[in-house]
Amino acid sequence: MPKLIKNGEIVDNTYNWLQDAEQTVTQDSIVAAQKWLSEKETIGNVAGIWLEAGDGVEFLQDVDLSQFDVIGVHFPAFTDGRGFSYARLLRERLNYQGEIRALGHFIPDQLGYLLRVGFNSFQFSEEVDLEKALDLHKPFSIAYQGDVADPRPLFLRR
Amino acid sequence: MYQYDAIDQQLVEERVAQFRDQTRRYLNQELSEQEFLPLRLQNGLYVQRYAPMLRIAIPYGMLSSAQLRKLADISCRYDRSYGHFSTRQNLQLNWPKIEDVPDILAELAEVQMHAVQTSGNCIRNTTTDQYAGVISDETVDPRPYCELIRQWSTFHPEFAFLPRKFKIAVNATESSDRAATQVHDIGLHIKKNEAGEIGFKVIVGGGLGRTPMVGVTISEFIPRVDLLTYLDAIIRVYNQQGRRDNKYKARIKILVKALGIEEFRSRVDAEWAHLKGKESTVPMSEFERLQGFFSEPNYDALENNPANLTSKLAESAGFARWFERNTFEHKKAGYRIVTLTLKKAGQAPGDATAEQMHKAANLADQFSFGELRVSHEQNLVLADVRQEELVNLWEAAKEAGFATPTLGLLTDMICCPGGDFCALANAKSIPIAAQIQETFNDLDYLYDLGNIDLNISGCMNACGHHHVGNIGILGVDKKGEEFYQISIGGASGHDASIGKILGPSFAQEEISSVIQKLMDVYVANRTEEERFIDTYRRVGITPFKEAAYAKAN
Ligand code: HEM
Ligand code: SF4
Repeated sequence: MPKLIKNGEIVDNTYNWLQDAEQTVTQDSIVAAQKWLSEKETIGNVAGIWLEAGDGVEFLQDVDLSQFDVIGVHFPAFTDGRGFSYARLLRERLNYQGEIRALGHFIPDQLGYLLRVGFNSFQFSEEVDLEKALDLHKPFSIAYQGDVADPRPLFLRR
Repeated sequence: MYQYDAIDQQLVEERVAQFRDQTRRYLNQELSEQEFLPLRLQNGLYVQRYAPMLRIAIPYGMLSSAQLRKLADISCRYDRSYGHFSTRQNLQLNWPKIEDVPDILAELAEVQMHAVQTSGNCIRNTTTDQYAGVISDETVDPRPYCELIRQWSTFHPEFAFLPRKFKIAVNATESSDRAATQVHDIGLHIKKNEAGEIGFKVIVGGGLGRTPMVGVTISEFIPRVDLLTYLDAIIRVYNQQGRRDNKYKARIKILVKALGIEEFRSRVDAEWAHLKGKESTVPMSEFERLQGFFSEPNYDALENNPANLTSKLAESAGFARWFERNTFEHKKAGYRIVTLTLKKAGQAPGDATAEQMHKAANLADQFSFGELRVSHEQNLVLADVRQEELVNLWEAAKEAGFATPTLGLLTDMICCPGGDFCALANAKSIPIAAQIQETFNDLDYLYDLGNIDLNISGCMNACGHHHVGNIGILGVDKKGEEFYQISIGGASGHDASIGKILGPSFAQEEISSVIQKLMDVYVANRTEEERFIDTYRRVGITPFKEAAYAKAN
């Protein structure tokens, strides 16, 4: 399986992102969140769930997210910024502590922003050179706004 | 004026470095056209009809003379020695080379300038009243609040890829709204409540373009400490729920309209409940810090109406005209606000040559504490001129072509670059502006007509704000030929309204004569003191329509 960037390092991918509802679910699967919710009694243990753009996060309000090792957020296009809000809400509102993984069409130049809203792993498309992508990890050394890592805006830190 | 500290400076420099690398990778074909597009747009770089276009931010319109000289200098070395001041307090360069843009940005950073978020589907450069801080009836100076918004919106990690562009404008006077806040995604009116606390009336969902709309009030009063959390809440709702399937239906105005303001407000409130009072609540110390940058310059204690001014007003009709039209009452006795118009016949509205930029910078140094502002109507402003210097300034401004005494009149039009520069245009707009300027060149007549906003756009996108012109002219394409649709009754101030289309469009050469007919109807129907817009509102569109389409006999 292709590698991915996780916590600032290039590592092996041990989970299987199931994009197709027909695929067999195993313990290593990342399953579509809506599917998991409706079939969770029969599905059994999985590594995690993934959100489709448009899903929002509200429907997960009453779910114990700590059972998941990973929550994926799918970007149908890298210009679709919904996932940025989802990650932030998963961290700040639903208090999810595990891995949040970017999936689908996003680009290395977005890493700086993605990290700040709470993503910590990135499953790029195969053409992306991960070594080069790592260089784009932290384009700015400082930020005006608070973010998931440090909620204090600059005016509380200046 | 706001001064960068080490952190602000470091950020713009890091942005330059980032963009230099992105440009290099694009030119090496490591980044595709499609991937580079939003990255370059977030840095104000368009690819236009003939060449790239670079849009440089002038945050809330404030410009030091040193910055203006730098812009002039950049336009000479990297462009064709002129620039275009836009309706959104930006300066556009029409002919830079993509490979030069990183160097241009590096030079801008030397004078605390940038092109961050001047384009793209992110929170754009925040605009405000060009007379902020010097106009007598403002609630408070809006500029510290604009700077707060500038910092909050710059590289906001959650909102860099919104469904569509997002524009915020701030106004702080009851008497007029020079920032057109009601036709912005968010319009903010600074107010004081009964307890004397400062806060904002928040208007949401205004905008022009294909579906023009006047915004609606979402909150009558948001205390200033809560401003950023409230903005976060609005935009978070928009980011998740705004339409992304259709570019033309992606603006927040469509979401607000589809949900209705009640429902939209309740979603924002639900979001805000989680954010209110949290870390992004702005402490008083931050307001004080920001206000410190906008303290008054070293005004002298002066009297109004010095002798040299009153005598010149009596003896020179030309000066008196300029004084009446192009200068404005200042909150301090003995001072006056002066607008340097960029509407000289023969020059595209809003364009300034490098030489003119240098001259304007010199005038700012000589007469106005080295500062200027850029206005929504595409003019430059010297905000703090001693009344006893007005005669000298007038002479110098005339020499530089800045003294066309027509501010607010028919020929002080807003005009987009249109088909001469813009790839999206359906028709040219600069020749229309020129035609009107040539036709309506009798100052006495223009003065008699009084305040009229005439706005011209080369296409539906409405960069020239034609919908909110008292008279709006829109370029349309009919089987490859350029025609112009005329609307009347638009307004952009506190009484904002969208103009109504008169009827079928006109050929280019007919425009002036149609405008003439509209003026004739106005003059024939007006009561004393009635502006064009007031007469229109009273008598309705019919007499104007009849006159415009009457067969010549
Ligand atoms: C020459 C390159 C330009 C391009 C490619 C361009 C592109 C666009 C587009 C696509 C829109 C439509 C937005 C929508 O559908 O909501 C728009 C609107 C607008 N643009 Fe431009 N524009 C250009 C120049 C300008 C200039 C020169 C100005 C100012 C003089 C300007 C200011 C605006 C404004 C104020 C709007 C109105 C949007 C609103 O309030 O809804 N643009 N532009
Ligand atoms: S209104 Fe149309 S023609 Fe004019 S600048 Fe905007 S996009 Fe171009």
